[in-house]
Amino acid sequence: MSSLRDLQHAVRRGLLQDGEGPAAAHILACGLAPRQRLSIYRNTMLGTLANALRLSFPAVHRLVGADFFEGAARIFARERPPRCADLNSYGAEFADFLQRFEPAATLAYLPDVARLDWAVHRALHAEDAIALDLSQLAAVAPSDQDRVCFVAHPSISTLRSRFPIDEIWRAVLHQDDAALAAIDLASGSACLMVERLSDDVEVARLEEHAWRLASALFGGLPLGAALDAAQSSVAPALLSDHLMAGRCISFHVTP
Amino acid sequence: MNEAGGTIPAAAGIGLRFQHHRAVLEARPAVAWLEVHTENYMGAGAAIRTLEAIRRDYPVSLHGVGLSLGSADGLDAGHLERIRDVVRRIEPGLVSEHLSWSVVGGTYMADLLPLPMTEEALDVVCRHVDQSQAYLQRRILIENPSSYLLYAHSTISEWDFLSAVARRTGCGILCDVNNIYVSACNHGWDAAAYLAGLPAQAVGEIHLAGHTLKQIDSGQTLHIDDHGSRVAPEVWALYAQALARYGPVPTLVEWDTNVPPLDILLAEAAQAASLLDRMDADHVVAA
Repeated sequence: MSSLRDLQHAVRRGLLQDGEGPAAAHILACGLAPRQRLSIYRNTMLGTLANALRLSFPAVHRLVGADFFEGAARIFARERPPRCADLNSYGAEFADFLQRFEPAATLAYLPDVARLDWAVHRALHAEDAIALDLSQLAAVAPSDQDRVCFVAHPSISTLRSRFPIDEIWRAVLHQDDAALAAIDLASGSACLMVERLSDDVEVARLEEHAWRLASALFGGLPLGAALDAAQSSVAPALLSDHLMAGRCISFHVTP
Repeated sequence: MNEAGGTIPAAAGIGLRFQHHRAVLEARPAVAWLEVHTENYMGAGAAIRTLEAIRRDYPVSLHGVGLSLGSADGLDAGHLERIRDVVRRIEPGLVSEHLSWSVVGGTYMADLLPLPMTEEALDVVCRHVDQSQAYLQRRILIENPSSYLLYAHSTISEWDFLSAVARRTGCGILCDVNNIYVSACNHGWDAAAYLAGLPAQAVGEIHLAGHTLKQIDSGQTLHIDDHGSRVAPEVWALYAQALARYGPVPTLVEWDTNVPPLDILLAEAAQAASLLDRMDADHVVAA
Protein backbone atom coordinates (compact mmCIF):
# COMPACT_ATOMS: atom_id res chain seq x y z
CA MET A 1 0.00 0.00 0.00
CA SER A 2 1.34 3.41 -0.91
CA SER A 3 1.41 6.48 1.26
CA LEU A 4 -1.07 9.24 0.45
CA ARG A 5 1.67 11.32 -1.17
CA ASP A 6 2.83 8.44 -3.39
CA LEU A 7 -0.76 7.72 -4.38
CA GLN A 8 -1.39 11.36 -5.29
CA HIS A 9 1.75 11.49 -7.42
CA ALA A 10 0.66 8.28 -9.15
CA VAL A 11 -2.83 9.68 -9.85
CA ARG A 12 -1.25 12.87 -11.21
CA ARG A 13 0.78 10.78 -13.65
CA GLY A 14 -2.28 8.78 -14.59
CA LEU A 15 -4.27 11.93 -15.35
CA LEU A 16 -1.62 13.90 -17.24
CA GLN A 17 -0.39 10.94 -19.27
CA ASP A 18 -2.42 8.59 -21.39
CA GLY A 19 -1.62 5.29 -19.75
CA GLU A 20 -3.07 4.50 -16.34
CA GLY A 21 0.40 4.22 -14.78
CA PRO A 22 0.99 2.97 -11.26
CA ALA A 23 -2.27 4.47 -9.94
CA ALA A 24 -4.30 1.64 -11.48
CA ALA A 25 -2.95 -0.89 -9.00
CA HIS A 26 -4.66 1.01 -6.18
CA ILE A 27 -8.04 1.46 -7.84
CA LEU A 28 -10.85 -1.11 -7.62
CA ALA A 29 -12.11 -2.24 -11.01
CA CYS A 30 -15.63 -3.42 -10.08
CA GLY A 31 -16.84 -3.79 -13.64
CA LEU A 32 -14.98 -0.80 -15.04
CA ALA A 33 -11.26 -0.66 -15.74
CA PRO A 34 -9.23 1.76 -13.58
CA ARG A 35 -8.07 3.35 -16.85
CA GLN A 36 -11.67 4.22 -17.71
CA ARG A 37 -12.36 5.50 -14.19
CA LEU A 38 -9.31 7.79 -14.37
CA SER A 39 -10.35 9.02 -17.79
CA ILE A 40 -13.55 10.47 -16.30
CA TYR A 41 -11.46 12.65 -13.98
CA ARG A 42 -9.03 13.50 -16.79
CA ASN A 43 -11.90 14.63 -18.95
CA THR A 44 -13.32 16.88 -16.22
CA MET A 45 -9.91 18.33 -15.44
CA LEU A 46 -9.04 19.11 -19.07
CA GLY A 47 -12.54 20.44 -19.72
CA THR A 48 -12.28 22.80 -16.76
CA LEU A 49 -8.86 24.06 -17.85
CA ALA A 50 -9.91 24.46 -21.50
CA ASN A 51 -12.90 26.45 -20.32
CA ALA A 52 -10.71 28.69 -18.16
CA LEU A 53 -8.46 29.33 -21.18
CA ARG A 54 -11.48 30.02 -23.40
CA LEU A 55 -12.57 32.76 -20.99
CA SER A 56 -9.08 34.30 -20.92
CA PHE A 57 -8.43 34.02 -24.69
CA PRO A 58 -11.75 34.96 -26.31
CA ALA A 59 -10.25 36.34 -29.52
CA VAL A 60 -8.09 33.26 -30.10
CA HIS A 61 -11.17 31.12 -29.46
CA ARG A 62 -13.18 32.97 -32.09
CA LEU A 63 -10.31 32.97 -34.60
CA VAL A 64 -9.66 29.24 -34.55
CA GLY A 65 -13.17 27.98 -33.69
CA ALA A 66 -14.42 26.02 -30.70
CA ASP A 67 -13.17 22.55 -31.70
CA PHE A 68 -9.65 23.62 -32.62
CA PHE A 69 -9.41 25.72 -29.47
CA GLU A 70 -10.61 22.90 -27.25
CA GLY A 71 -8.08 20.52 -28.78
CA ALA A 72 -5.17 22.94 -28.46
CA ALA A 73 -6.17 23.92 -24.92
CA ARG A 74 -6.31 20.29 -23.79
CA ILE A 75 -2.85 19.56 -25.20
CA PHE A 76 -1.51 22.70 -23.49
CA ALA A 77 -3.22 21.77 -20.20
CA ARG A 78 -1.50 18.38 -20.14
CA GLU A 79 1.88 19.90 -20.99
CA ARG A 80 1.56 22.89 -18.67
CA PRO A 81 -1.02 22.19 -15.96
CA PRO A 82 -1.67 25.10 -13.57
CA ARG A 83 0.52 25.72 -10.56
CA CYS A 84 -2.22 27.49 -8.66
CA ALA A 85 -5.95 26.95 -7.99
CA ASP A 86 -6.81 30.51 -8.96
CA LEU A 87 -7.49 29.81 -12.64
CA ASN A 88 -7.62 33.54 -13.45
CA SER A 89 -3.85 33.35 -13.33
CA TYR A 90 -3.68 30.33 -15.66
CA GLY A 91 -2.53 30.75 -19.24
CA ALA A 92 0.56 32.98 -19.12
CA GLU A 93 2.39 30.42 -21.30
CA PHE A 94 -0.45 29.76 -23.75
CA ALA A 95 0.73 32.29 -26.36
CA ASP A 96 4.23 30.74 -26.41
CA PHE A 97 2.62 27.32 -26.71
CA LEU A 98 0.61 28.47 -29.74
CA GLN A 99 3.79 29.79 -31.30
CA ARG A 100 5.26 26.28 -31.40
CA PHE A 101 1.93 24.49 -31.97
CA GLU A 102 2.36 22.99 -35.44
CA PRO A 103 -1.35 22.84 -36.44
CA ALA A 104 -1.64 26.61 -35.89
CA ALA A 105 1.52 27.47 -37.85
CA THR A 106 -0.41 28.92 -40.79
CA LEU A 107 -1.92 31.62 -38.54
CA ALA A 108 1.31 33.55 -37.98
CA TYR A 109 -0.48 36.32 -36.07
CA LEU A 110 -2.24 33.94 -33.66
CA PRO A 111 0.41 33.96 -30.89
CA ASP A 112 0.40 37.77 -30.83
CA VAL A 113 -3.41 37.88 -30.69
CA ALA A 114 -3.09 35.50 -27.73
CA ARG A 115 -0.63 37.92 -26.11
CA LEU A 116 -3.15 40.72 -26.55
CA ASP A 117 -5.96 38.56 -25.11
CA TRP A 118 -3.72 37.83 -22.11
CA ALA A 119 -2.81 41.50 -21.60
CA VAL A 120 -6.52 42.41 -21.61
CA HIS A 121 -7.33 39.54 -19.22
CA ARG A 122 -4.57 40.65 -16.86
CA ALA A 123 -5.79 44.22 -16.99
CA LEU A 124 -9.34 43.08 -16.17
CA HIS A 125 -8.17 41.33 -13.02
CA ALA A 126 -5.44 43.76 -11.98
CA GLU A 127 -5.61 45.30 -8.54
CA ASP A 128 -7.19 48.72 -8.26
CA ALA A 129 -4.62 51.43 -7.54
CA ILE A 130 -4.65 55.11 -6.70
CA ALA A 131 -2.83 57.45 -9.05
CA LEU A 132 0.32 59.18 -7.90
CA ASP A 133 -0.21 62.51 -6.17
CA LEU A 134 1.79 64.64 -8.60
CA SER A 135 2.64 67.24 -5.96
CA GLN A 136 5.07 64.66 -4.55
CA LEU A 137 7.22 65.12 -7.65
CA ALA A 138 7.92 68.70 -6.64
CA ALA A 139 10.15 67.39 -3.87
CA VAL A 140 12.53 65.74 -6.37
CA ALA A 141 15.68 67.81 -6.85
CA PRO A 142 16.28 68.78 -10.50
CA SER A 143 19.59 66.90 -10.43
CA ASP A 144 17.72 63.69 -9.43
CA GLN A 145 15.00 63.88 -12.07
CA ASP A 146 16.72 61.62 -14.59
CA ARG A 147 16.90 58.90 -11.94
CA VAL A 148 13.18 58.84 -11.09
CA CYS A 149 11.64 55.40 -11.69
CA PHE A 150 7.86 55.24 -11.87
CA VAL A 151 5.67 52.30 -10.88
CA ALA A 152 2.92 51.80 -13.45
CA HIS A 153 -0.72 51.16 -12.63
CA PRO A 154 -0.92 47.34 -12.32
CA SER A 155 -3.33 47.05 -15.26
CA ILE A 156 -0.91 48.60 -17.76
CA SER A 157 1.12 46.64 -20.24
CA THR A 158 2.67 47.41 -23.62
CA LEU A 159 3.12 45.01 -26.50
CA ARG A 160 3.93 45.18 -30.17
CA SER A 161 3.40 42.89 -33.10
CA ARG A 162 4.40 42.90 -36.75
CA PHE A 163 0.70 42.27 -37.47
CA PRO A 164 -2.29 44.59 -36.88
CA ILE A 165 -3.42 42.43 -33.96
CA ASP A 166 -5.58 45.17 -32.42
CA GLU A 167 -7.67 45.32 -35.60
CA ILE A 168 -7.92 41.53 -35.70
CA TRP A 169 -8.81 41.39 -31.99
CA ARG A 170 -11.58 43.99 -32.36
CA ALA A 171 -13.01 42.46 -35.52
CA VAL A 172 -13.27 38.94 -34.10
CA LEU A 173 -14.69 40.05 -30.76
CA HIS A 174 -17.32 42.16 -32.54
CA GLN A 175 -17.89 39.26 -34.96
CA ASP A 176 -17.39 41.75 -37.77
CA ASP A 177 -16.50 39.53 -40.71
CA ALA A 178 -16.31 42.44 -43.14
CA ALA A 179 -13.79 44.26 -40.98
CA LEU A 180 -11.80 41.07 -40.53
CA ALA A 181 -11.70 40.45 -44.28
CA ALA A 182 -10.55 44.04 -44.90
CA ILE A 183 -7.51 43.77 -42.64
CA ASP A 184 -4.20 44.02 -44.44
CA LEU A 185 -1.77 41.76 -42.58
CA ALA A 186 1.13 43.56 -44.22
CA SER A 187 0.02 47.00 -43.03
CA GLY A 188 2.89 47.27 -40.57
CA SER A 189 3.53 46.73 -36.92
CA ALA A 190 1.09 47.54 -34.13
CA CYS A 191 2.46 49.27 -31.02
CA LEU A 192 -0.10 48.81 -28.26
CA MET A 193 -0.78 49.89 -24.71
CA VAL A 194 -3.42 48.04 -22.62
CA GLU A 195 -4.86 49.55 -19.45
CA ARG A 196 -7.85 49.55 -17.11
CA LEU A 197 -7.81 52.80 -15.21
CA SER A 198 -11.52 52.65 -14.30
CA ASP A 199 -13.84 49.74 -15.14
CA ASP A 200 -13.17 49.20 -18.83
CA VAL A 201 -10.06 47.84 -20.46
CA GLU A 202 -8.70 49.93 -23.29
CA VAL A 203 -6.42 48.81 -26.07
CA ALA A 204 -4.72 51.86 -27.57
CA ARG A 205 -2.45 51.97 -30.60
CA LEU A 206 0.53 54.31 -30.12
CA GLU A 207 3.02 55.90 -32.46
CA GLU A 208 6.38 54.16 -32.51
CA HIS A 209 8.15 56.84 -30.40
CA ALA A 210 5.27 57.05 -27.92
CA TRP A 211 5.29 53.27 -27.55
CA ARG A 212 9.05 53.29 -26.85
CA LEU A 213 8.53 55.86 -24.12
CA ALA A 214 5.57 53.99 -22.58
CA SER A 215 7.41 50.65 -22.64
CA ALA A 216 10.47 52.14 -20.99
CA LEU A 217 8.54 54.24 -18.48
CA PHE A 218 6.08 51.51 -17.43
CA GLY A 219 8.85 48.91 -17.58
CA GLY A 220 10.52 50.76 -14.70
CA LEU A 221 13.41 52.41 -16.52
CA PRO A 222 14.73 55.66 -14.99
CA LEU A 223 13.13 58.75 -16.46
CA GLY A 224 16.28 59.93 -18.25
CA ALA A 225 16.69 56.63 -20.05
CA ALA A 226 12.96 56.44 -20.83
CA LEU A 227 12.95 59.88 -22.44
CA ASP A 228 16.08 58.98 -24.41
CA ALA A 229 14.42 55.76 -25.59
CA ALA A 230 11.59 57.77 -27.13
CA GLN A 231 14.03 59.72 -29.34
CA SER A 232 11.38 62.38 -29.76
CA SER A 233 10.99 66.03 -28.93
CA VAL A 234 7.43 65.41 -27.77
CA ALA A 235 8.51 62.87 -25.12
CA PRO A 236 8.18 65.35 -22.20
CA ALA A 237 4.63 66.19 -23.30
CA LEU A 238 3.77 62.48 -23.54
CA LEU A 239 5.20 61.92 -20.06
CA SER A 240 3.00 64.67 -18.76
CA ASP A 241 -0.05 63.03 -20.38
CA HIS A 242 0.74 59.70 -18.69
CA LEU A 243 1.12 61.34 -15.29
CA MET A 244 -2.07 63.38 -15.67
CA ALA A 245 -4.01 60.27 -16.75
CA GLY A 246 -2.98 58.49 -13.55
CA ARG A 247 -0.91 55.79 -15.23
CA CYS A 248 1.79 56.02 -12.56
CA ILE A 249 1.02 55.16 -8.96
CA SER A 250 4.34 55.78 -7.20
CA PHE A 251 8.00 56.49 -7.85
CA HIS A 252 11.43 56.22 -6.30
CA VAL A 253 14.80 57.76 -7.10
CA THR A 254 17.50 55.25 -8.02
CA PRO A 255 20.84 55.76 -6.36
CA MET B 1 -21.95 45.96 3.18
CA ASN B 2 -24.30 43.95 5.30
CA GLU B 3 -27.52 45.76 4.56
CA ALA B 4 -28.77 42.23 3.97
CA GLY B 5 -28.11 40.22 7.13
CA GLY B 6 -25.24 37.84 6.63
CA THR B 7 -26.76 34.67 8.04
CA ILE B 8 -27.77 32.00 5.55
CA PRO B 9 -31.37 31.09 6.40
CA ALA B 10 -32.82 27.56 6.44
CA ALA B 11 -34.36 28.30 3.06
CA ALA B 12 -33.63 27.66 -0.61
CA GLY B 13 -30.86 29.48 -2.47
CA ILE B 14 -29.24 29.23 -5.88
CA GLY B 15 -25.69 29.00 -7.11
CA LEU B 16 -24.84 32.33 -8.78
CA ARG B 17 -22.77 32.13 -11.95
CA PHE B 18 -21.40 34.95 -14.13
CA GLN B 19 -24.20 34.50 -16.69
CA HIS B 20 -26.72 35.72 -14.11
CA HIS B 21 -24.82 38.60 -12.50
CA ARG B 22 -26.66 41.21 -14.49
CA ALA B 23 -30.09 39.56 -14.16
CA VAL B 24 -29.71 39.32 -10.37
CA LEU B 25 -28.51 42.92 -10.06
CA GLU B 26 -31.31 44.27 -12.24
CA ALA B 27 -34.25 42.07 -11.30
CA ARG B 28 -33.42 41.34 -7.63
CA PRO B 29 -35.22 37.98 -7.78
CA ALA B 30 -36.94 36.71 -4.65
CA VAL B 31 -34.46 34.05 -3.56
CA ALA B 32 -33.39 33.61 0.05
CA TRP B 33 -29.63 33.48 -0.54
CA LEU B 34 -26.88 32.98 -3.10
CA GLU B 35 -23.75 30.88 -3.24
CA VAL B 36 -20.70 31.46 -5.45
CA HIS B 37 -17.45 29.67 -6.15
CA THR B 38 -14.82 31.48 -4.10
CA GLU B 39 -12.17 31.03 -6.80
CA ASN B 40 -14.20 33.05 -9.32
CA TYR B 41 -13.84 36.19 -7.20
CA MET B 42 -10.16 36.10 -6.37
CA GLY B 43 -8.03 39.07 -7.35
CA ALA B 44 -9.43 42.46 -8.19
CA GLY B 45 -11.56 43.79 -10.99
CA ALA B 46 -15.21 43.80 -11.91
CA ALA B 47 -16.23 40.32 -10.67
CA ILE B 48 -15.64 40.92 -6.97
CA ARG B 49 -17.10 44.42 -7.17
CA THR B 50 -20.26 43.00 -8.74
CA LEU B 51 -20.46 40.40 -5.98
CA GLU B 52 -20.10 43.15 -3.37
CA ALA B 53 -23.04 44.95 -4.96
CA ILE B 54 -25.12 41.76 -4.96
CA ARG B 55 -24.10 41.06 -1.38
CA ARG B 56 -25.80 44.29 -0.27
CA ASP B 57 -29.14 42.63 -1.05
CA TYR B 58 -28.54 38.94 -0.38
CA PRO B 59 -26.80 36.72 2.14
CA VAL B 60 -23.95 35.02 0.31
CA SER B 61 -22.18 31.71 0.88
CA LEU B 62 -18.62 31.12 -0.41
CA HIS B 63 -18.05 27.64 -1.80
CA GLY B 64 -14.43 26.80 -2.60
CA VAL B 65 -13.14 24.23 -5.08
CA GLY B 66 -9.38 24.78 -4.91
CA LEU B 67 -8.13 24.49 -1.33
CA SER B 68 -7.33 20.78 -1.66
CA LEU B 69 -7.86 19.80 1.98
CA GLY B 70 -6.69 16.26 1.23
CA SER B 71 -3.25 17.10 -0.19
CA ALA B 72 -0.45 15.13 1.45
CA ASP B 73 1.89 18.00 0.49
CA GLY B 74 0.08 20.42 2.82
CA LEU B 75 -2.15 23.40 2.17
CA ASP B 76 -1.19 26.15 -0.27
CA ALA B 77 -0.81 29.12 2.09
CA GLY B 78 -1.24 31.52 -0.82
CA HIS B 79 -4.60 30.01 -1.69
CA LEU B 80 -5.79 30.15 1.90
CA GLU B 81 -4.82 33.83 1.92
CA ARG B 82 -6.79 34.46 -1.28
CA ILE B 83 -9.84 32.82 0.30
CA ARG B 84 -9.44 35.01 3.37
CA ASP B 85 -9.31 38.12 1.18
CA VAL B 86 -12.62 37.19 -0.47
CA VAL B 87 -14.12 36.37 2.95
CA ARG B 88 -13.11 39.80 4.25
CA ARG B 89 -14.69 41.61 1.33
CA ILE B 90 -17.91 39.61 1.12
CA GLU B 91 -18.60 38.75 4.78
CA PRO B 92 -20.26 35.44 3.82
CA GLY B 93 -22.78 33.58 5.96
CA LEU B 94 -21.11 30.24 5.22
CA VAL B 95 -17.73 29.13 3.90
CA SER B 96 -17.37 25.62 2.52
CA GLU B 97 -14.89 23.29 0.80
CA HIS B 98 -14.71 19.66 -0.30
CA LEU B 99 -13.59 16.31 1.03
CA SER B 100 -11.12 15.78 -1.81
CA TRP B 101 -7.71 16.75 -3.13
CA SER B 102 -6.55 18.68 -6.20
CA VAL B 103 -2.90 19.63 -5.65
CA VAL B 104 0.21 17.46 -5.75
CA GLY B 105 3.81 18.38 -6.42
CA GLY B 106 2.80 22.00 -7.01
CA THR B 107 0.34 21.09 -9.79
CA TYR B 108 -3.34 22.03 -9.51
CA MET B 109 -5.33 19.18 -11.09
CA ALA B 110 -8.53 21.26 -11.50
CA ASP B 111 -10.92 18.57 -10.27
CA LEU B 112 -12.16 17.27 -6.93
CA LEU B 113 -10.16 14.05 -6.80
CA PRO B 114 -11.15 11.26 -4.42
CA LEU B 115 -9.18 10.44 -1.30
CA PRO B 116 -8.47 6.95 -0.06
CA MET B 117 -10.60 6.46 3.05
CA THR B 118 -7.69 5.67 5.38
CA GLU B 119 -6.53 6.80 8.83
CA GLU B 120 -3.60 8.56 7.14
CA ALA B 121 -5.89 10.58 4.88
CA LEU B 122 -8.21 11.31 7.82
CA ASP B 123 -5.29 12.78 9.78
CA VAL B 124 -4.26 14.91 6.78
CA VAL B 125 -7.78 16.27 6.21
CA CYS B 126 -8.35 17.00 9.92
CA ARG B 127 -5.03 18.83 10.15
CA HIS B 128 -5.92 20.98 7.16
CA VAL B 129 -9.46 21.70 8.35
CA ASP B 130 -8.03 22.77 11.72
CA GLN B 131 -5.48 24.96 9.95
CA SER B 132 -8.12 26.54 7.67
CA GLN B 133 -10.57 27.23 10.47
CA ALA B 134 -7.82 28.80 12.60
CA TYR B 135 -6.62 30.96 9.72
CA LEU B 136 -10.07 32.06 8.58
CA GLN B 137 -11.21 32.38 12.21
CA ARG B 138 -14.49 30.66 11.47
CA ARG B 139 -16.12 27.27 11.15
CA ILE B 140 -16.18 25.83 7.65
CA LEU B 141 -18.41 23.19 6.08
CA ILE B 142 -17.01 20.19 4.24
CA GLU B 143 -18.88 18.67 1.31
CA ASN B 144 -19.01 15.01 0.30
CA PRO B 145 -17.83 14.69 -3.33
CA SER B 146 -19.31 12.54 -6.08
CA SER B 147 -16.87 9.85 -7.12
CA TYR B 148 -16.13 7.46 -9.94
CA LEU B 149 -13.50 5.28 -8.33
CA LEU B 150 -12.66 3.61 -5.02
CA TYR B 151 -9.21 2.75 -3.74
CA ALA B 152 -8.41 -0.83 -2.84
CA HIS B 153 -6.78 0.11 0.48
CA SER B 154 -9.65 2.19 1.88
CA THR B 155 -10.75 1.00 5.32
CA ILE B 156 -13.39 3.56 6.33
CA SER B 157 -16.77 4.34 4.77
CA GLU B 158 -17.06 7.84 3.32
CA TRP B 159 -19.83 8.80 5.77
CA ASP B 160 -17.80 7.60 8.76
CA PHE B 161 -14.78 9.50 7.42
CA LEU B 162 -16.78 12.72 7.01
CA SER B 163 -18.39 12.27 10.45
CA ALA B 164 -14.96 11.81 12.00
CA VAL B 165 -13.68 15.01 10.36
CA ALA B 166 -16.67 16.91 11.78
CA ARG B 167 -16.22 15.37 15.23
CA ARG B 168 -12.47 15.96 15.42
CA THR B 169 -12.33 19.48 13.95
CA GLY B 170 -15.74 20.90 14.84
CA CYS B 171 -16.38 21.70 11.18
CA GLY B 172 -19.85 21.39 9.71
CA ILE B 173 -20.99 19.08 6.92
CA LEU B 174 -22.29 20.25 3.57
CA CYS B 175 -24.42 17.28 2.59
CA ASP B 176 -24.65 17.10 -1.20
CA VAL B 177 -27.66 14.85 -1.73
CA ASN B 178 -27.02 14.55 -5.48
CA ASN B 179 -23.42 13.50 -4.81
CA ILE B 180 -24.61 10.84 -2.37
CA TYR B 181 -27.05 9.56 -4.98
CA VAL B 182 -24.40 9.58 -7.75
CA SER B 183 -21.74 7.87 -5.64
CA ALA B 184 -24.25 5.36 -4.25
CA CYS B 185 -25.28 4.40 -7.80
CA ASN B 186 -21.66 4.19 -8.98
CA HIS B 187 -20.40 2.13 -6.06
CA GLY B 188 -23.47 0.19 -4.98
CA TRP B 189 -23.80 2.03 -1.68
CA ASP B 190 -27.04 2.41 0.24
CA ALA B 191 -27.87 6.14 0.00
CA ALA B 192 -30.21 5.96 3.01
CA ALA B 193 -27.46 4.41 5.11
CA TYR B 194 -25.14 7.24 4.02
CA LEU B 195 -27.69 9.85 5.18
CA ALA B 196 -28.22 7.97 8.44
CA GLY B 197 -24.45 7.76 8.97
CA LEU B 198 -23.92 11.53 9.14
CA PRO B 199 -24.37 13.34 12.47
CA ALA B 200 -27.56 15.43 12.00
CA GLN B 201 -26.40 18.29 14.21
CA ALA B 202 -23.29 18.83 12.03
CA VAL B 203 -25.19 19.19 8.74
CA GLY B 204 -25.20 22.93 8.03
CA GLU B 205 -26.15 22.99 4.36
CA ILE B 206 -27.56 20.75 1.63
CA HIS B 207 -26.70 20.84 -2.07
CA LEU B 208 -28.96 19.72 -4.90
CA ALA B 209 -28.01 19.47 -8.58
CA GLY B 210 -28.61 17.52 -11.74
CA HIS B 211 -26.51 14.63 -12.99
CA THR B 212 -26.27 12.63 -16.18
CA LEU B 213 -25.86 9.00 -17.19
CA LYS B 214 -22.85 7.95 -19.22
CA GLN B 215 -22.75 4.72 -21.13
CA ILE B 216 -19.28 3.18 -20.95
CA ASP B 217 -17.90 0.97 -23.75
CA SER B 218 -18.11 -2.06 -21.50
CA GLY B 219 -21.90 -1.65 -21.32
CA GLN B 220 -21.76 -0.24 -17.80
CA THR B 221 -23.61 2.93 -16.90
CA LEU B 222 -21.96 5.55 -14.75
CA HIS B 223 -23.72 8.44 -13.06
CA ILE B 224 -21.81 11.68 -13.74
CA ASP B 225 -22.26 14.71 -11.50
CA ASP B 226 -22.25 17.41 -14.18
CA HIS B 227 -24.61 20.01 -12.63
CA GLY B 228 -26.12 20.40 -16.09
CA SER B 229 -29.82 19.62 -15.70
CA ARG B 230 -32.79 19.69 -13.32
CA VAL B 231 -32.59 17.78 -10.06
CA ALA B 232 -33.59 14.14 -10.70
CA PRO B 233 -36.77 12.72 -9.09
CA GLU B 234 -34.69 10.17 -7.13
CA VAL B 235 -32.61 13.02 -5.71
CA TRP B 236 -35.71 14.99 -4.69
CA ALA B 237 -36.89 11.85 -2.85
CA LEU B 238 -33.53 11.53 -1.11
CA TYR B 239 -33.67 15.24 -0.24
CA ALA B 240 -37.02 14.69 1.51
CA GLN B 241 -35.38 11.92 3.52
CA ALA B 242 -32.47 14.21 4.38
CA LEU B 243 -34.82 16.93 5.61
CA ALA B 244 -36.73 14.41 7.70
CA ARG B 245 -33.45 13.35 9.27
CA TYR B 246 -31.61 16.69 9.62
CA GLY B 247 -34.51 19.14 9.96
CA PRO B 248 -34.75 22.32 7.88
CA VAL B 249 -31.28 23.15 6.55
CA PRO B 250 -30.15 25.89 4.09
CA THR B 251 -30.51 24.26 0.68
CA LEU B 252 -28.77 25.23 -2.54
CA VAL B 253 -29.56 24.37 -6.15
CA GLU B 254 -26.38 24.27 -8.28
CA TRP B 255 -26.21 24.42 -12.07
CA ASP B 256 -22.79 24.76 -13.75
CA THR B 257 -22.89 23.38 -17.29
CA ASN B 258 -25.44 24.51 -19.88
CA VAL B 259 -26.55 27.11 -17.34
CA PRO B 260 -30.27 27.79 -17.98
CA PRO B 261 -32.16 31.10 -17.73
CA LEU B 262 -32.45 32.38 -14.18
CA ASP B 263 -36.19 31.53 -14.06
CA ILE B 264 -35.49 27.81 -14.35
CA LEU B 265 -32.99 27.94 -11.50
CA LEU B 266 -35.48 29.88 -9.40
CA ALA B 267 -38.15 27.28 -10.15
CA GLU B 268 -35.84 24.53 -8.91
CA ALA B 269 -35.18 26.54 -5.75
CA ALA B 270 -38.95 27.02 -5.32
CA GLN B 271 -39.38 23.25 -5.40
CA ALA B 272 -36.79 22.87 -2.64
CA ALA B 273 -38.52 25.67 -0.74
CA SER B 274 -41.84 23.85 -0.90
CA LEU B 275 -40.26 20.77 0.67
CA LEU B 276 -38.64 22.94 3.33
CA ASP B 277 -41.98 24.66 4.04
CA ARG B 278 -43.76 21.34 4.37
CA MET B 279 -41.04 20.38 6.81
CA ASP B 280 -41.71 23.48 8.90
CA ALA B 281 -45.45 22.76 8.85
CA ASP B 282 -44.83 19.18 9.98
CA HIS B 283 -42.65 20.46 12.81
CA VAL B 284 -45.41 22.78 13.97
CA VAL B 285 -47.94 19.94 13.85
CA ALA B 286 -45.55 17.67 15.71
CA ALA B 287 -45.01 20.32 18.37
